[in-house]
Amino acid sequence: MKALLNYLNLAIAYVRLNWNAHMEYRGAFVSQLLAMLLNNLMWVAFWGLFFTRFPVLRGWTVQDVVTLWAIAAAGFGLAHAIYGNALQLAKLIAQGQLDVWMLYPRVLLPHLLLGQMNATSWGDLLFGYGVYLGFVHPDMVHFVWFIGLTISVAALFVGFSVLTGSLSFYIGNASALSDQWRMAMLTFSTYPGTLFDGAIKLLLYSFIPAGFVTYLPVEALRSLSWVHAIGSVIGSVTILGIGIGVFYHGLRRYESGNLINMRG
Amino acid sequence: MKSLHKYGWIAWTSARSNMAYLGEVVARTLFLVLILYIFLQLWRVTYSETQAQQLGGFTLPQMLWYLCVTESLAISAPRIAQDVDQDVRTGALTVQLVRPISYPMYRLWSSMGERGVRFGFNFAVSAVLALFFVGTIPMSIGGCLLFLLVLPIAFILDFLVMFLIGLGAFWLEDTSGLVLIYSRLLWLLGGLMIPLELFPESWQGILHNLPFALVIYAPARLFVHPSISDTLALLMRQGVALLMLTLCVQWVYGLAIQRIHSNGG
Repeated sequence: MKALLNYLNLAIAYVRLNWNAHMEYRGAFVSQLLAMLLNNLMWVAFWGLFFTRFPVLRGWTVQDVVTLWAIAAAGFGLAHAIYGNALQLAKLIAQGQLDVWMLYPRVLLPHLLLGQMNATSWGDLLFGYGVYLGFVHPDMVHFVWFIGLTISVAALFVGFSVLTGSLSFYIGNASALSDQWRMAMLTFSTYPGTLFDGAIKLLLYSFIPAGFVTYLPVEALRSLSWVHAIGSVIGSVTILGIGIGVFYHGLRRYESGNLINMRG
Repeated sequence: MKSLHKYGWIAWTSARSNMAYLGEVVARTLFLVLILYIFLQLWRVTYSETQAQQLGGFTLPQMLWYLCVTESLAISAPRIAQDVDQDVRTGALTVQLVRPISYPMYRLWSSMGERGVRFGFNFAVSAVLALFFVGTIPMSIGGCLLFLLVLPIAFILDFLVMFLIGLGAFWLEDTSGLVLIYSRLLWLLGGLMIPLELFPESWQGILHNLPFALVIYAPARLFVHPSISDTLALLMRQGVALLMLTLCVQWVYGLAIQRIHSNGG
């Protein structure tokens, strides 16, 4: 318990520090945030138009798709607004930049991930909660479930970013592969899970685990179903666990880049 | 004639340099494959749920071929505004002005070469996918030629808007927001994901006359439903947009050039 509180304090300190760093470039930060908001709103507009013409798609309505976008964006935003380095992991490993993090008397991975904040992720986070409250108008119970599921999806995204980034331990610079894999995950995460059947559905619960974003959390929220909620959390914890496992397994193969690095 | 030869070489050089970076081309293609598969599923489910043979005048195979063209068009867009923005901010523009070529024409032909290669590659891949998933649609050599007639004008119209945005760097701190707004408007109102026929009827009149439709929707629709009368009407609208945007670029470029101050040796 003490260790957890200690880590929470560290996380808060890092978030504050990274936030202040971004505030030094306030204009760029705000424009990136607004750009991401606009980008996501465009997609909601597309779905709005689509459902105006075709009101129900395999039982899903526009409200379900908006919920899906809200959960995916808020989860991704929460994950990388705090753990921004998860998106840089492949590059950090390939360039031998873990050395500096290994010198700290902290557990390596959770500390390393806190090192950066991704500015556009704040746009995603803001969009996710804004669109859920503004378009779906949830009652208190649904909103509390939404918060819980957002945290679960955020854990999934962190785990997935760690998993894909850790490939650099095995194949050298895996930045491009990691980006592509993550892009595939994000793309599948923003379309209704009910569109896919058969082998693709299997893929969405394994190799590209978008099913834990697009289907289970939305179904959980639709009917306040504990079965779907627990399924979603189990999926997230599993992916997070696999990500952590692959990272520490790969770490044994890590070679220092003899890079001189300073952190302020 | 001599200058045409000169700009032709610029386009060819740009095309060749793009063929050298196959990694990036493959990365874009993988994304295209993914997107097309998702949209195929979306429309397959939609056709099946509505039990319609045609939606907005498109059968399912026609819809997928339409999306092949629109997605290939969108994904092949070069970074024109960003490059012009960089030239303005770094001062590289002054170096370009010393050369015996027109800077806007240099950028235009360079982007045409780049886009030609990208579009060709993307379309080839998406056509293979469409053949695999839904088979062929009625096509003719004449129809393809009509499509090839309007396609370069669509590229030029897109270039002119992006070039204008890039020139915004003379006055604005950051043009990336404008690029994003334009690209998203192009995607949404240009019919990238959904043909204009499926938009609410009250919107359709306006959308058909906006330049966004002339870049994406109209060429893609012509590919699926080739017709000489539609081609002529489209060429007319593209011509008007081309004229207006060219005049606009000329005016803004003239203003921008006056703001350049070159110092040092």
